[in-house]
Amino acid sequence: MAHPTRIEPSVLHKLAMHAPESGNRLWTGIREKSMMTLNSTAFPNKKIEEWKFTDLKLISRTPFVRTGQAETIPAQNIEKYFIPESDRSRLVFINGIFQEGYSSIGGLGKGVTVGNLSAYARNKIVQAYLNKLVNYENDLFTAYNGLMFEDGAFIHLEPGARAEAPIQILNLYTDSEKPFIANPRILIVADTDSDATVIEEHIGLSENVYMTIPVCEVKVKQRAHIHHVRIQRDGQNAIHMSRPIAYVEKNSEYHSYTITLGAKLSRNEPRVIQEDEEVNFTMDGLVLIDGEQVADTHSLMDHRFSHANSHQLHKVVVNGSAHSIFNGKIFVRRDAQKIDSFQENRNLLLSADGLVNTKPQLEIFADDVLCSHGATIGQLDPEEVFYLQSRGMTEEKAKEVLTYAFALETIENVKVDSVHKLLIDEVYRYTRANSKPKKVLV
Amino acid sequence: MLELKNLHAEVEGEGIEILKGVNLKVSKGEIHAIMGPNGSGKSTLSKVVAGHPHYEVTKGDILYNGESILEMDPDERAHAGIFLAFQYPVEVPGVTNTTLLRESYNTIAASRGREELDPLEFDDYIKEKLSLVEMNPDFLERSVNTGFSGGEKKRNEIFQMAVLQPTLSLLDETDSGLDIDALRIVSDGINKLHGDHDAIVLITHYQRLLNYIIPDHVHVMINGRIVKTGGKELALELEEKGYDWLESLETVNGEAK
Ligand SMILES: Nc1ncnc2c1ncn2[C@@H]1O[C@H](COP(=O)(O)OP(=O)(O)OP(=O)(O)O)[C@@H](O)[C@H]1O
Ligand SMILES: [Mg+2]
Repeated sequence: MAHPTRIEPSVLHKLAMHAPESGNRLWTGIREKSMMTLNSTAFPNKKIEEWKFTDLKLISRTPFVRTGQAETIPAQNIEKYFIPESDRSRLVFINGIFQEGYSSIGGLGKGVTVGNLSAYARNKIVQAYLNKLVNYENDLFTAYNGLMFEDGAFIHLEPGARAEAPIQILNLYTDSEKPFIANPRILIVADTDSDATVIEEHIGLSENVYMTIPVCEVKVKQRAHIHHVRIQRDGQNAIHMSRPIAYVEKNSEYHSYTITLGAKLSRNEPRVIQEDEEVNFTMDGLVLIDGEQVADTHSLMDHRFSHANSHQLHKVVVNGSAHSIFNGKIFVRRDAQKIDSFQENRNLLLSADGLVNTKPQLEIFADDVLCSHGATIGQLDPEEVFYLQSRGMTEEKAKEVLTYAFALETIENVKVDSVHKLLIDEVYRYTRANSKPKKVLV
Repeated sequence: MLELKNLHAEVEGEGIEILKGVNLKVSKGEIHAIMGPNGSGKSTLSKVVAGHPHYEVTKGDILYNGESILEMDPDERAHAGIFLAFQYPVEVPGVTNTTLLRESYNTIAASRGREELDPLEFDDYIKEKLSLVEMNPDFLERSVNTGFSGGEKKRNEIFQMAVLQPTLSLLDETDSGLDIDALRIVSDGINKLHGDHDAIVLITHYQRLLNYIIPDHVHVMINGRIVKTGGKELALELEEKGYDWLESLETVNGEAK
């Protein structure tokens, strides 16, 4: 144990390398490709620029086992996580494994296919796209997923198809005796002129240690619209390493809203890649963390063609000794003219021990572009607190109201009522818990 | 109702003294006007009375209904009936006017033994108060003061006063920024709100306001002290002569500048 960071990744490596054989050729191909990455990539450390602020000791020192050996405890009362709007458009996974009994599909009308990937392993669309959209250079985590995933969610919209209800992809993680790894996957292919809202959730049911590595691939074809809400409510000792990537074609729209509430350590790497002109995309984020939580977002908006409208509002509230990291890359390639890109990272620091690292990173090679970007780190404005107090609110209430107002902006665009309400409740719960002055009792 | 006794206050932690011994007595049913040059300490005085934590009272006392309020937090003072209309109302993005007012009204009502209003009753109540200052109902759903014009912010302050029904209102330059019609409307509103059981302290630079709201007493503040007090005709005299002739009083009154 002299060099835990050198020795321990091999636990993960071993698990990944000796993952059970898969019965189908598509999976086998993905495993082979992932194995190459695994063999040629070192485990990240803080000397690598992209990992400068994020310590992965928590991963390298945890003796993960396969889900089958983790002595998982069956989940109870799963129904309370169901979104009423998605009554007949719901996919449920527990620790990455599809749960047919809890899922409900078929309420989406013509041209919409929703199911689990392994059931569609021979499907032309799955064959054509699965793992083909994953584009993370030297990334071990996508390789781990590629080697270990068993199943995932599959959504296909035929040309002109409109999902009549939001589609809920509910990933639950159960309590366990030993730390395990889950490898959820999502593939969304929205054909021309199609439209869907997808609610992707990750919920930890207990306080056990586990790591989830969700890999999500989205293809938005011409004139299609995807509204993608991602809610991370992993357990307080969980590790969440997500890799959602979307490709947007001509005249399409992709709007994603990522809400990060849980996990002890999370690293989210959303990417949107422009594939043609005239696109419109959003990559908003809200992070509410406390205690010892570390939440890292490394995002990329890659503008490769002219006429794109892109928007990224990333809001963060930090309390306790939590730590937020934001690195927002905006690429504007040489031939991408008339780009209107907005990026803003606003951080609200509620405690003296909290930490925020933020780095907007613009790399612009075109000349006719409008890119506004900014990052702010601040406390609650004492003049605002006084103003509200002078109107009768206690200091605590004033701080609560202001924190709530700060956070609310990013979830206003979530258009599914029950999800919007859930998020408001979550924001409220967080602000209630975090507006009290943390006094030391003597 | 309000009594300031040799009130000294400085900027917390910086030792810059701004109020240098203010004496003032305001009784129920009265209207007082405080005038004085820029930077003389008028806004500071109003914020100190409202309990702003940036200022520290180093000497003297603030009595409200006979009792010292120095130890009270700003919200407790608001509960006791003190209201400050800010010279520069603060923008609070994300908090709507309705949210603020409902929260404020109900906490103040609860602490003063008035009955809380349910949302429907509150709606009716608030509509009536809107009409008092002729404010557009659209403002209710907007974030507090956010993007409001200067005049709209001032009108909003008086609207809040109307809703909260304070017993002591400190109105800091409510007239600045209001157009001619708005000044008349807002003044009418203030007059309607004023009665035998409350008191108003107006801070202003302009005699014009005092044509609408007639003060019982006019005070001149210079360099952190009230150097002269008179009736409403004092305002006219100031309008004509400025403050130069009063500067000397400052030293006559005692301690060094
Ligand atoms: N927080 C502070 N820090 C430093 N100086 C302050 C602070 N607050 C007030 N002052 C100073 O105290 C003095 C009085 O300010 P105040 O705002 O009370 O003046 P005023 O009489 O209201 O002026 P005006 O007519 O321009 O509104 C000014 O010189 C001001 O710069
Ligand atoms: Mg002033």
